[in-house]
Amino acid sequence: MFLPDGSQDQIGDSLLKKQRVYQIFTDVAIRRGYKAIETPVIEYAETFTNPHVGIPFQQLLKWFDREGDIEVLRPDWTTAIARALMKLNPKESKWFYQGSVFTQDKDGVESRQAGIEMIRTKPIEGEIESLFFAIDYLSAVNIDDYLIELGHTGIYEKIIEPLMFTTTEEKKLRQAMHDKRQDVVKALTERNQTVQKQLLDLIQAYGESSLLDEYKQIFKDETDIVAILDELQDLVNVLKQLGIDQTIVDLGRVKQLPYYSGTMFRGYLTQTGDECFSGGRYDKLYQQFNQSTPAIGLAFDVDVLASAITIEKKEKIAIIASSETYVLAELKRRTISDKIVDVLYTFPTDNAYDDIIDLRNEGVE
Amino acid sequence: MKPVIALTKGRLEKQFLHYYEALGYDIDPLIDKGRKLRVDTNDFQFIFAKGPDVATYVQYGIADLGIVGGDILAEFQPDVFDLFPLPFGACRMAVATEEGKVWSNGKKRIASKYTGITKAFYKEKGESVDIIKLEGSVELAPILGLSDAIVDIVETGNTLLENGLVVEEEFMHFSARLIANRSALKIKRAALQPVIEKLEPKGAQPND
Repeated sequence: MFLPDGSQDQIGDSLLKKQRVYQIFTDVAIRRGYKAIETPVIEYAETFTNPHVGIPFQQLLKWFDREGDIEVLRPDWTTAIARALMKLNPKESKWFYQGSVFTQDKDGVESRQAGIEMIRTKPIEGEIESLFFAIDYLSAVNIDDYLIELGHTGIYEKIIEPLMFTTTEEKKLRQAMHDKRQDVVKALTERNQTVQKQLLDLIQAYGESSLLDEYKQIFKDETDIVAILDELQDLVNVLKQLGIDQTIVDLGRVKQLPYYSGTMFRGYLTQTGDECFSGGRYDKLYQQFNQSTPAIGLAFDVDVLASAITIEKKEKIAIIASSETYVLAELKRRTISDKIVDVLYTFPTDNAYDDIIDLRNEGVE
Repeated sequence: MKPVIALTKGRLEKQFLHYYEALGYDIDPLIDKGRKLRVDTNDFQFIFAKGPDVATYVQYGIADLGIVGGDILAEFQPDVFDLFPLPFGACRMAVATEEGKVWSNGKKRIASKYTGITKAFYKEKGESVDIIKLEGSVELAPILGLSDAIVDIVETGNTLLENGLVVEEEFMHFSARLIANRSALKIKRAALQPVIEKLEPKGAQPND
């Protein structure tokens, strides 16, 4: 019997690490006042493919139900939770979730996430709580070698306004910005040299947060962009006060899903370069329900975190019992709470144990 | 750790080394490498692979930067930063067929190594075709009657000419490109920026 590409049985330490990542996530979220939510694995495709959400249909794992509607495996938590919260209309605003998402575009189809969603949170407050949550959680799983990157959808969007692009043209330009493809950005913006120059600068605007000052100078006549850069600077400052000295920025970052609108952030593990979390503001997501609900959130990549954490090895003890000392061995086992205890009926022949307690003749006359 | 640069073996490799040497780098270790697929220079570690694999190594972060043909990027669409064109490896994508080909009214059969590009091209045109995937020597296909036409890269056009084929339509122009891993470009900026700047063709600066 075989498994499809990317599907995996989980055993031993790698499974324990994932469970540990989930467990600590739950602890941190509850401690910070978040409420649990879980949406079903199976939903209608329309929930994710409608123009407000815009997840490409090709990426979904899908089939027809008995009525001929297209059902999918959950490809995205944020959208599903927005749907659920609109229906439930709860008074709480801070939510956490964990579980798998399924898309065709990754290595394999299943990946595991743990994340938070905050609705009705004002700008900057929500951003700060999201980033503080990330720092709190990463510290709880003992990961300290990471970099936080900040970006904002508004910079690119403001700059391209004078181009008056059609949706198709804008999509091409956004893809070229996403790929940092200088020549294509240049070719697409020939009609406006000012915008062209600004976008080509923006492609290069990634690196240390001191870039914020530099770009504030460059865009000093654009008050909206200066306001955005100030907001990002505020976040950098707050992070610094919390002991995160190095925050990087990518001012040329563009959104990949249409519902993003505002700050975007992600975390990289410095050693491997793996992206361990990502998120941002998406006030537009709830517009599909005719609601103006500000929302923000972030998701951790559980698989990446699990491969980065270490689980301390526990000492392993063998208690050797005989048919007369079953109960005695079990009582002894109860007194040892911080070690792994096996009760055996024959003496082990390998060196798998750190200590052996022989109770075969204990209390036997 | 030194930055890792993945190079496309073969024709692009030679053109890259020529370009790289002109930028003032020492290329001796890269020329005297024998059959080694991994070579250290003073500044970098180079790995040598086929074009599509260069893209894969960069996408997965094994290599930080890669030198690869634009045709490969268009065909395989790896998730990488696709920074800028390099001044070598120019070629174009073309539909070619036998000279004097009389097209039937039916659905055309097109042979190509580049099935993704071919599919996108005909979709854009609004024409349904059947595509046959070949691994090389695609010029054979129309001659032997496997297909009505081919979609392939053309550099000089000599191969087409010698096999009695003519270009029916050209539709994309490519050159070699510098690609970068999405995380490495950010995290290793200090180490990568100098070489990226050096590799960027002068005189054709996008800001000019």
